[in-house]
Amino acid sequence: MLRFIGARLLQSLVALAIISVVVFVLARTTGDPLYLILPMSATQEDFANARQYLGLDRPYVEQYLSFVGRAVIGDFGTSLRARRPVSELIRERLPNSLKLAAFAMGVSLAMAFPLGVMAAVRKGTGLDRAAQIISVLGQSLPTFWVAILLVEFVAGRLQWLPAAGLEGFSSYVLPGFTLGWFVVAGLMRLLRSSMLEVLDSEYVKLARVKGVVEHRVIWLHALKNALIPVVTFAGIYFAILVTTAIVVETVFAWPGLGRLAYEGISSRDFPVIQAVVLTTAAIVAVVNLCVDCLYAFIDPRIRYAR
Amino acid sequence: MKRARGVVSPFLLVLVLIGMVMVGSGWAQAKPELTVALSSFSTEVLDPALGGHIVKYYLSLMFDYLVGTTPDGQPSRDGGLANRWENSSDYKRWTFHLRKGVKFHTGDDVTSEDVKFSLQRAIGKRSTTGYAGPLRTLIQDIETPAPDRVVIVTKEPTLIIPTYLSRSLSTEGMVLPKKYIEANGDDVFARKPVGSGPYKFVEQVTGSHIRLAAMDSHWRIGTSKHKSILFRLVPEETTRIALLRRGEVDVADVSRERVRELEREGFPVHFRRDEAILSMWWVLGPDGRTPPTKDKRVREAMNLALDRAEIAAAIFAGKADPAAVPLGLSWSFKDVGFKVTPEMAYPYDPARAKKLLADAGLASGFNLDVYAYQLPGLPEGKALAEAVAGYWEKIGIKTRLIPVDYPAFRKLWVDRQIPGAVGYYNIANRDWIGAYALLEKMAYSPSKPNDTANDPEIDGMIAQVMRQTDKEKINALMRNIFSRLRNEHSGVPVVYLHSPYATSKTLGKWNPGTVMYDLFIDQLVSGK
Repeated sequence: MLRFIGARLLQSLVALAIISVVVFVLARTTGDPLYLILPMSATQEDFANARQYLGLDRPYVEQYLSFVGRAVIGDFGTSLRARRPVSELIRERLPNSLKLAAFAMGVSLAMAFPLGVMAAVRKGTGLDRAAQIISVLGQSLPTFWVAILLVEFVAGRLQWLPAAGLEGFSSYVLPGFTLGWFVVAGLMRLLRSSMLEVLDSEYVKLARVKGVVEHRVIWLHALKNALIPVVTFAGIYFAILVTTAIVVETVFAWPGLGRLAYEGISSRDFPVIQAVVLTTAAIVAVVNLCVDCLYAFIDPRIRYAR
Repeated sequence: MKRARGVVSPFLLVLVLIGMVMVGSGWAQAKPELTVALSSFSTEVLDPALGGHIVKYYLSLMFDYLVGTTPDGQPSRDGGLANRWENSSDYKRWTFHLRKGVKFHTGDDVTSEDVKFSLQRAIGKRSTTGYAGPLRTLIQDIETPAPDRVVIVTKEPTLIIPTYLSRSLSTEGMVLPKKYIEANGDDVFARKPVGSGPYKFVEQVTGSHIRLAAMDSHWRIGTSKHKSILFRLVPEETTRIALLRRGEVDVADVSRERVRELEREGFPVHFRRDEAILSMWWVLGPDGRTPPTKDKRVREAMNLALDRAEIAAAIFAGKADPAAVPLGLSWSFKDVGFKVTPEMAYPYDPARAKKLLADAGLASGFNLDVYAYQLPGLPEGKALAEAVAGYWEKIGIKTRLIPVDYPAFRKLWVDRQIPGAVGYYNIANRDWIGAYALLEKMAYSPSKPNDTANDPEIDGMIAQVMRQTDKEKINALMRNIFSRLRNEHSGVPVVYLHSPYATSKTLGKWNPGTVMYDLFIDQLVSGK
């Protein structure tokens, strides 16, 4: 197992190194950030001063080596826009994204499990069809539209829940639900089909014949074996929720990593873009590693095969 | 049924949990502070030397300016650290007398050394403020003969010093604590700024909010009505309006198209009238204007082709007025005695526009690139570009809309890579000094990169304004410049934009003023 984790870590480091080159080059192809930073009255001398002060006048190779050298120790340089250390900005934003993603994933799992299992157990009934409608709506309604509707009606008109910010647990509900609903749909469909397959297997039939109570058959015997594809899906989606919730973060004024990325890109803030992409890549690598380990835990055959 | 029962309980648990959260959240809660929700914080920097005019609305609460300004943009002896100032007879020495007893939030006295330090920092190489360049060129020395007296010595005679260091322009006039910055460094200052203004810095969470706390009593506002002010960054308008409805914010910037709805609901909406002029221009080539817009008739035709009233009504929800003078910053008109006469207003006259094109030998039109981009404070940017291109199509001009982001266009413009193409900007309105500073950048050939006029006669007049110390003569020159810009059709003025700010129903009176990028929040919280 340790060897497996070691190999995965090595692969992740190689991937991060490649990503660092790609993001460094791509960020610089978007244009010159000084045209956003400096006022219209700026002279050529002002441009030269700013370029020198911000270290943008150095050769690209030197800039890249400096970036990588510092990134290794967690120093991503200074934001061109906010003029603050990027690592500080990441430290401010990442916990917010993690908390929102965890909440959204919790909501998704708590809703998808009963709905997915129930839809499989009562296949073809009204309940199954209702679950499928929820699933279709969850995946087809644009997130920004759902978010704006919730803000307009639930927060603004009905005044049931906060519209924005992250003060208190209640402020998690609307952004968490908006993010989570999309995931609920996917998880539920996956769980339903996986459960249908497992419920039809011989060992489940045997358990029932032996008189095991139904909820034990469903939740203990069947669900555990139906979990493998769900774990993969949930793992990938958790990483996506942490890093790409730009729309939800914008609508709910949630200061997370997604919006930091957007602000970085729109202001051509190279250090921020680089840091966010590398952090995102690291999160994806860690989540994938966790998912792999979880696989082995759920299904010992995978562990032994390795 | 038995199977279903086994799976229903977790679902119910979730519903109960959400219900508990909803009950616990409470609805609209009493506000301990004044909350201002804005769509953008610009760069979010807290160091005046790194921000410039766009971040004035929160910085002007933390810092005092050397020269104060009234909400209508006039220099004020009551609103700045200098309660009087005078110039030498040759207009090259400006002496400012500082208000006594003013202290920074650290408890240190504000002295002339702080003023000197701040100004040197504002015009230093690291500064990115709006007017650092012109001040750097102009200032020869800064003397501090006494702790309450500072003398600014200029290389040339000038009238502009008090206004350039006032609240009416950028952040160069903000006074910073020399001792604190020297002891702690620029980075600490940028994170934990200290000023002498009526509010002190409490915290900043980038992308979220900036919180300020009121000083017990301050010479600018007395005892504040609010113990603290919270600036919340809320990019989505629907959310800002929801927060307003919930009573969670007191002031919010809103779009022109939502004004009627909010007014129907009883929310007061305050306008900053003519906050910006939306102006279009032709990019110059390396050697100046290029055909076909080198021909004055073509430029006039393109102006006559626009139905400005329709643009104001359809694109800007009627919250805009037609403009007639290219780069005509209307807040300066009163200062210099300029009046836009009815004859100056461009009528919508496509027939005459076609005739002018035919007279110029362009009866079959010509190809024109129109760059389309969004700008801060102008969500209607691309719609405007499409509409204007449509009007020009009607008189035979074959337009090509090129979607880009503004920085990309700005580079093409100042590098003169796209001669004859059209760009636009919502230029913030300002007083006469600000208008002059803008003209020096956008209508003066020697400032080559940004020039849009390429007119030797205007160049001559702008150069005279620089040297002139007689205000009446300056006024006459400014009037002549505006007239010449209009008569030569040096650009395509479109509309003056009015910017709406909705407030809570209980907030009371507020005059957001007519000063560039300043909302005069301190007037709103003033206990005087």
